[in-house]
Amino acid sequence: MTFDFAIVLKFQHALLLGLWTTLKLTLICILLGCILGFLVALARTSKNAILRGPSSVYVEFFRGTPVLVQLFWIFFCLPLVLGVELSNMASGVIALTLYMGAISSETFRASLKSVGREQLDACVALGLSPWARTANVVLPQAVLRAAPTLLSNCISLFKESALVSAVGMADLMFVGQNISNNTARPIEVLTAVALIYFVIAFPLTRAVTVIEQRILKRLAV
Amino acid sequence: MNYSFDFASVFRNFGPLWDGLLVTVELTIAANAIGLTLGFGLALLVMSRFAVIRLPVTLFIEFFRCTPAIIQIVWFFYCVPMLFNVFLGSVTMGILALGLNLAAFNAEAYRASIQAVPREQLDAGVALGLNPFQRILYIVLPTAVRNSMPVLLTNGIGIFQQSALVAIVAVQDLMYQGKTLATQTYRPIETFTIVALFYFAVSFPVSQVVGYLERRREALAS
Repeated sequence: MTFDFAIVLKFQHALLLGLWTTLKLTLICILLGCILGFLVALARTSKNAILRGPSSVYVEFFRGTPVLVQLFWIFFCLPLVLGVELSNMASGVIALTLYMGAISSETFRASLKSVGREQLDACVALGLSPWARTANVVLPQAVLRAAPTLLSNCISLFKESALVSAVGMADLMFVGQNISNNTARPIEVLTAVALIYFVIAFPLTRAVTVIEQRILKRLAV
Repeated sequence: MNYSFDFASVFRNFGPLWDGLLVTVELTIAANAIGLTLGFGLALLVMSRFAVIRLPVTLFIEFFRCTPAIIQIVWFFYCVPMLFNVFLGSVTMGILALGLNLAAFNAEAYRASIQAVPREQLDAGVALGLNPFQRILYIVLPTAVRNSMPVLLTNGIGIFQQSALVAIVAVQDLMYQGKTLATQTYRPIETFTIVALFYFAVSFPVSQVVGYLERRREALAS
């Protein structure tokens, strides 16, 4: 069997467009998902059962079901439930944001727990409002401690984003599968697509390790 | 919202969903069997002194960890028959693809816990005259498995969820049956909700067990 990797170069434009969609989707969902995740983490650690109950159900449900099922649900059912048309991009953003929110809320929750009880008492003693306490004392520490895990979550999201191809969004995976079907050269095209994902995700996983060690050192002082 | 729910139409077709769940569980168990054993082997190889062994294994692990599972599965289904001229059943292919993916993730979990095995224990093994194979079997393996149990379980349940991906290459698992049923009955909301609940009903108890194990270990450590 002969390989013809030059065929991949012929389609570089389409692949780059797909990659751009993947990156755009990933970045938007990381941003929205982290905000959602932090708020949900606060809700889950709150004393109010009305906040705690639904947010726990949300997190457990999104962590306990496959992302593919969540995507299908949001693509096919949410428009029916809401009675509005949702664009491909909108459904993709909603699905992956909700997923990212659920996994990053667990990360934030663990890091919120690590903020010492004494610091919260100190806030009370200093007369800080609950808002000032959350924004100026809890948030900076929680983010610092959560950073490495959060970054791994972002890498997971980048990888999971390939699933939107299953519902017909033209991301890198979708474009790659299309080209491989049309040219009947799956080995070259799919390998190239896998390599593109790898080239982006691998340096990031290395970065996570480095950042983790730095933060551990900083917190140890 | 004026949508009348009809869960009965899904329950009338409970049979295919149940069959699908059995395939999903079969995929999960078989993939875990590969992942738990091969993962340990890979973890030992990745810590090898010889770069000739270490580098290819590292590459294998990192490649599976840094690319989307969906492309691994699609790649496996399209390229392995072409490259190696072997034609296996679709469930077997699914098991192999998921098993290799899990092995890569489990190798990382094992590695961390193997490194945590105290040096003195291995020295004691040498002093007792155990050969390298016995040292791994009786000293390293039990500690490594115990220490990495929460992560291994999390990975195992992760593969249960990832196994839904094989529906894309037409393995008739739970997700595939759900998709077919949703199209046949025109009842996507009911079908996908029930499929989601199926998955949830299996993975939630396991994640609770993981949480319990972790809390117990923290309590023991402190």
